[in-house]
Amino acid sequence: MGRKHGIGIAVALVAVAVSLWAGLGSANAQPQAAKLDKVTLQLKWVTQSQFAGYYAAKSLGYYKQFGLDVNIKVGGPSITPETVVASGQADIGIDWLPSLLATRDTGTKLVNIAQMFARSGMTELTWKSSGITSIAGMRNHTVGVWCCGNQFELYAALTKHGMDPEKQQGVKIFNQPFTMTDFLSHRIDAAAAMTYNELAQVLESKDPKTGKLYTLKDLNVFPLQKEGTSMLEDGLFAQEKWVSGHRDVAMRFIAASDRGWIYCRDHVQQCTKIVLQNGTALPGGHQLWEMNEINKLVWPNTLGIGVMDPAAFKRTAAIALKYKVIKKAQNASAYDAALPKAALQYLQNHVKGIDIHGKAYRPIAVTLKAGGK
Amino acid sequence: MSAAPMPVAPLPRGGVATLVGRQGRDWAPAVVVLVAFVGLWEEIVRAAHVQRFLLPAPTAIWTAFSSNQGQLWHEGWVTFQEALGGFAIGCTAGMLAAVLVARWDLVGGALMPYAIAANAIPIIAFAPITNAWFNPLTKTAHMVIAAVLCFFPVFVNVVRGLRSVRPAQIELMRSYAVGELTVFRLVRVPTALPFLFTSLRVASVLAMIGAIVSEYYGGALDTLGANIEQDASLFQFEKAWAEIVIACILGIGFYLAVALLERLATRWQPRIEMVGA
Repeated sequence: MGRKHGIGIAVALVAVAVSLWAGLGSANAQPQAAKLDKVTLQLKWVTQSQFAGYYAAKSLGYYKQFGLDVNIKVGGPSITPETVVASGQADIGIDWLPSLLATRDTGTKLVNIAQMFARSGMTELTWKSSGITSIAGMRNHTVGVWCCGNQFELYAALTKHGMDPEKQQGVKIFNQPFTMTDFLSHRIDAAAAMTYNELAQVLESKDPKTGKLYTLKDLNVFPLQKEGTSMLEDGLFAQEKWVSGHRDVAMRFIAASDRGWIYCRDHVQQCTKIVLQNGTALPGGHQLWEMNEINKLVWPNTLGIGVMDPAAFKRTAAIALKYKVIKKAQNASAYDAALPKAALQYLQNHVKGIDIHGKAYRPIAVTLKAGGK
Repeated sequence: MSAAPMPVAPLPRGGVATLVGRQGRDWAPAVVVLVAFVGLWEEIVRAAHVQRFLLPAPTAIWTAFSSNQGQLWHEGWVTFQEALGGFAIGCTAGMLAAVLVARWDLVGGALMPYAIAANAIPIIAFAPITNAWFNPLTKTAHMVIAAVLCFFPVFVNVVRGLRSVRPAQIELMRSYAVGELTVFRLVRVPTALPFLFTSLRVASVLAMIGAIVSEYYGGALDTLGANIEQDASLFQFEKAWAEIVIACILGIGFYLAVALLERLATRWQPRIEMVGA
């Protein structure tokens, strides 16, 4: 062994020794904290006020107080929360109820553990200038819908008025990307828009003719909740076998998340700040609008936040079956009715006097600026 | 120089039966591998109880394929038309640009570095932008991406081909006092043909990729890209795989068609290759 080899080995040994020392040292340096249960949450989309309750719960320490260490994974295009949860890369996921039902229909054993949003925020928009003043008026026009499980509320509404969107009879369906460009450039006559997001994007854009921002006076907004074909949206779900093995963890997670959403109801501005601190694509003014609109979907909830309304579930499942989102009818075994109720009980035991119904909830007024600033 | 040009053996003549028999013998080992691969895939999925959304069994994919044939072939045809259109536009533009650049050295010197740099940019990143420029409901938006993907390989290769003429041949033509156009027609074009066809084969594959990826970003619903995305997110993975199979069949078919065209076009020209120095 030459000198060169000798020096190399010495360096390697020193490196190993240093890293071992550092590793062991840091392990010893941490105080023995109470063991927190690790939970990974998969969001439905990118960071925004739509998920404010969970960010608030993490930021304000609610998860920690209930013994949880939560890792929030951001979603986005081509990330299907059901796939992430089913493959074990996350414990709990957020997605819309029809998507969950479609996944269950293929035999994948996922179950809804809390229905956070009691109302649907989906609308279709048309320009006042187009003269389309109802869903029925969309006949023979180009209608934008989102793909991938987000189109069924609108399909149901179109079918109700005698059109067949699946076969494109009586209406031309446009696969809308998650922007409003095609609507703003008048390529399509009607576009899908969530009250909390895409509608705001339109209202934050300037009308090239007037140089001023578009207002609600320029638009016809058709909330699908009013059409009677709305389906339940954001809810928490997990693998059935994870839930049966971690019931207590699931319950505490729901309780802390509920607490986060209650904070966001009562502290709209601060909650928006928390979301912004977590890094968002859309700026502050837009996030405040979104926070306000999301609150309208969650509150008031006569059953208590997170509890599934059986009638709303039945309607969602019936529409899903009718439009072949699912091939076999689904019943109440798709959701865990007991967990969210247990979570509310736990929450009320730990935080005296907390308001889980939001009966007195009133939305605030939000003015939008150009670009959502 | 000891190098002697060696003519490459031309396409063998003979009856159709001889041709098929020869092809059969050449392809038999590959077919065996394919069958074995599919069989192994099926076995592993069954034995290891692989989850359907991770990897469906070939039999499940086949079922999805056969029960949706009409829809799948329709979607494939729409996407293929976009790929074909983009291929035609991109390759023609590439060839024309290459002729201009090869003819006038000054233009070439000015543009080639940028062309080569642009070739390295992931053009697919522009798909959401071209869908904003052009109406994604029409095929045009998707053809544009396919055309841009096809343009650069064809352009760069044809320029190289047009310029890789042996000086001796040019000098011979000069000694005949032939005009530039004749030199181009008799010498440069035949030299460039192999380069052109190599790039056309590459472009045929890129055109399909461009068409499908641009379809992910919006447009009509009866396309392969839109449906692959949709079916995967609705947990209908067998159908998504079936659509991928269609895309492969069309892509391979396109490639083979271009390869056949190459055989026919260069059939009459003995390909002269340099052996040795």
